[in-house]
Amino acid sequence: MFFNSIEFFIFLPIVFGLYWLIGGKNIKTQNLLVAAASYVFYGWWDWRFLSLILFSSLVDYSIGIALGKNEKPTTRKTLLWISICVNLGFLGFFKYYNFFVDSLINSFTFFGSELSINTLNIILPVGISFYTFQTLSYTIDVYNRKLEPTKDFVGFMAFVSFFPQLVAGPIERATNLLPQFSVERKFDYRNAVDGLRQVLWGLFKKIVIADNCAKYANIIFNNHTDYNGSTLLLGAFFFAFQIYGDFSGYSDIAIGISRLFGFNLKRNFAFPYFSRDIAEFWRRWHISLSTWFRDYLYIPLGGSRGGTSMKVRNTFIIFIVSGFWHGANWTFVIWGALNAIYFLPLLLANKNRVNTNLVAEEKYLPSIKELGQMGFTFLLTLIAWVFFRADNVTHAFSYLKGIFSESLFSWVEIFPSTILGLVFFFIITEWLGRSGEYAIEKVDFINRPIRWGFYLLLIILMFAFTGEEQQFIYFQF
Amino acid sequence: MKKFLKNIIIFFLLALIVGEIVVRVTHTMSDIPQRVIDENGIQKYYPNQEGYWKGGDHKWSINKLGWPGELPNSYDNLIMIIGDSYIENFMNPNDCHQSAFLKKNMKTFNFMEAGRSGVSLIEAMEISKNLDSLKPVKTLVYVNNNDFYESIRDIKPLQDITQVNLKNGTIVYGKMKAPLFKKILYNWKLLYYFYTRFPLNNQSENAEAPTVSEAIEENNDILKSKSEVFNLINYIKDNYFIKDKVFVFHPNSNTEIIEQCKNLGFNIIVLDSSKDDKKWVFDHDSHWTCYGHEQVAKQISNALLK
Repeated sequence: MFFNSIEFFIFLPIVFGLYWLIGGKNIKTQNLLVAAASYVFYGWWDWRFLSLILFSSLVDYSIGIALGKNEKPTTRKTLLWISICVNLGFLGFFKYYNFFVDSLINSFTFFGSELSINTLNIILPVGISFYTFQTLSYTIDVYNRKLEPTKDFVGFMAFVSFFPQLVAGPIERATNLLPQFSVERKFDYRNAVDGLRQVLWGLFKKIVIADNCAKYANIIFNNHTDYNGSTLLLGAFFFAFQIYGDFSGYSDIAIGISRLFGFNLKRNFAFPYFSRDIAEFWRRWHISLSTWFRDYLYIPLGGSRGGTSMKVRNTFIIFIVSGFWHGANWTFVIWGALNAIYFLPLLLANKNRVNTNLVAEEKYLPSIKELGQMGFTFLLTLIAWVFFRADNVTHAFSYLKGIFSESLFSWVEIFPSTILGLVFFFIITEWLGRSGEYAIEKVDFINRPIRWGFYLLLIILMFAFTGEEQQFIYFQF
Repeated sequence: MKKFLKNIIIFFLLALIVGEIVVRVTHTMSDIPQRVIDENGIQKYYPNQEGYWKGGDHKWSINKLGWPGELPNSYDNLIMIIGDSYIENFMNPNDCHQSAFLKKNMKTFNFMEAGRSGVSLIEAMEISKNLDSLKPVKTLVYVNNNDFYESIRDIKPLQDITQVNLKNGTIVYGKMKAPLFKKILYNWKLLYYFYTRFPLNNQSENAEAPTVSEAIEENNDILKSKSEVFNLINYIKDNYFIKDKVFVFHPNSNTEIIEQCKNLGFNIIVLDSSKDDKKWVFDHDSHWTCYGHEQVAKQISNALLK
C-alpha cells in the first residue's frame, strides 16, 4: 500500500478511528491494532512476505530474551551472531544473491574461464533493508546492555512492523521507538495537528516535486545521448529534487502519521541541500541510516580514532557499505566511494565539523560565501547522483562525459518552466522554514485563515500538478 | 479529540467548497449536458444547453432539437449526419464539426448532426428513422466495429444502449443508467473530478461522458460473432429504408463487415487514414482532432460528389 494511494486514504482513517476509539487507553489493544494494521499494510503488497517479518521478529525477540538471561560472554556473542547471520542472511539472499553470482561469473569470464551458476528469479521484499536494520539495532543494543529485552511480543511485533516507517524508514532505533510501545499514549491535539501538517508537506514533496521532476529526469537520463551538456546537468538537477522530494517526503509522511498515533520518530532529513560542505550534507541526509552506520559500524571499527590510514579505511568502508545498502549495483558502490572521496579531505583536515549550526541563522538571506559553499556542495552531490540514477557504470560515465563537454555552455534543450517554478517555490519554502523540523512547521504561528489558505494551496497544487504516479524510490532498497 | 475531529471536518468542508470553485473556474472538468429519453425511446439531450469543454478553450452547445452543434439555416437539400461521440464531438469547437467541414466542401447542401456518445448502429438507424420527417436527401451514419457488436443483444445485453434482439426481431431501447447519480456527479464538479481521476473500477469511465474510449481500435482483421453481425446487417436491410443511407466506416474497420454491407446493397464510404503522415486522433484520446475531422469530411465529400 502506498501513502499516495486511494487505499491508504481509506485505510488510515479506519486505523486511526479504531486505535483511539476502541484502543482507547489500553496499550495492549493499541499495540495489537498497530501490529494488525501493519501486517495488513504490508500484506497488501504481497502477503507471502509477512512470514519473513514474522520470522525476523520471532528470532530477534527470542534472542533478546536469551541475551537478557545469559551472562556468559561467549554465549551472548554467539546469540548476537545468530541474529546478525539470520537478518543479514535474508537481506543478502533476497537483495544481493544475483549480484554476487553475476559478479563472480563476470570475474571468471574476465580471466578467461567459464563459470556456470544460475541466477534466481528473486522478488525483493519491499523495505527489507529498513526493517532488517531496525531489528538488528534491537539485538545489538540489548547485547551492549543499552536496552532491556522486551517481554511483550505483540509490542515487539508492532515495533518491527510499525506501518508508517516499515517500508522506507526512518530506520528507528529500538532505544527510541520500542519503549514508546510500553508507555501510555494519549491523544494530543497539537501533536496530531502537527503530524497532519507534516503529512501534507510530505505528500506535496512526493506528488508535486518528486513525481514531476521524475518525468523529466527519466526523459533526460533515458535518452542522454540526444541532449547537450546543460540539459544533462538539468536532468541531474531534476533527479536531485526527485530523490529528495521522494525520500524526505516519505519520511515526513511516516513521521507525521506516527504522531497521529502518539509516536515520535527520529528526524530523517534536515534540509540537506542547504549544506555548506559534504560532511554537513551527510549529517542532514538520511540521518537515520548515517547514524546507524556510524554507531554500529564506524565506531566499532575504530571511527576516526587512530592514524590516517585507519581514518581513510573506515571512511571508505562506511560510505561504500552505505552505497551497497542502497542496491546491488556497482553504481551504488561508486556513489558511496565518491562521497567518501568528497568527505575525506574534510576529515583529514579536521574540518568535518565546521558547519554544525544552521546556515544563515536568523537571517533571510545567506552571505555570498555561504551561497557559494551551498552551490559547490550541491554540485558535488549532483555529480554523485548521476551514479545513483544511472542504469550502470558505463551509462553514468557517458552521462558525465556529456555534461562536461563544450555543450555545457549552450542553452538547455528542455525547459519545463512550470516544473522549475514549482521547484523554486519548494526551495523558497524550505529555506524560510529551515529552522523547523520540517519546512512548514512554523506555519502554526500564522493566523488561521492564512494558514488554512496555505494548506488549501498545497492541496490544490497537488491535484493540479499530480505527475504520473511513481512508486517511492526507496521502496526498492 | 473532539476539537481535532471538528477542525478536520470544517477544513474538509472548506476544501470541498474551494476545490469546487477552483475546478469550475479553471474548467478542469468538462461540463456534461443532461440527457432525456424522448417519446420514441431515443436518448438525446435537453434542448438549448451549453457548457465548456475541459480547459475552457471552447464551448459546446445543444440545439433546440436536442442534438449537439448548430442547426442549418434551412432543411432544404439536407444531409443528415448521425453517429456517436465522434459526431457529438464535444472535444472540438463547432467549426471543427463534420457539418462545418462538409458545408465548406459541398456548399449547395445543408447539414445537420445528430450525435451522442454511446450510440449503437441500431440506435443510429432508429434516430435516422425519426429524423426522416425532415426529408434528408442523404443520411450519413458513421460506424465502427463496436457499433455493430453493441447493437446485438444476443451477443451482450447492455442496459443503457439501444439494441436489437435478433431472435425475436424486437428493438430494446436503452435506459438511463443511474440518472440521479449522474445528475449529482456532473453538477458536483469536484466529485466528478475525483471520480474520473480515481476510477472505482475499470468500467467506471461511463459511456455518457464525452471522453469515452469506445473507439479503441482492436484487432479488426478478426470478425467476432460473425453470424450475429451478418444477421444484424440483414435485419437493418429488411427493417429500415436504406437507399438514402450511407455507412461511413472508420479507418481500419473490419473488411468482412464492409464487404457484407456492400453485397447487401448498402451505400458505403470507407475512410482511410493510412496515407496521411499526420495523426487524425488526439494523443490521449481516440477521437478525431480538428485536422482529423477535416480529412474525414474531405474524403466523404469527394466520395459523395463522385
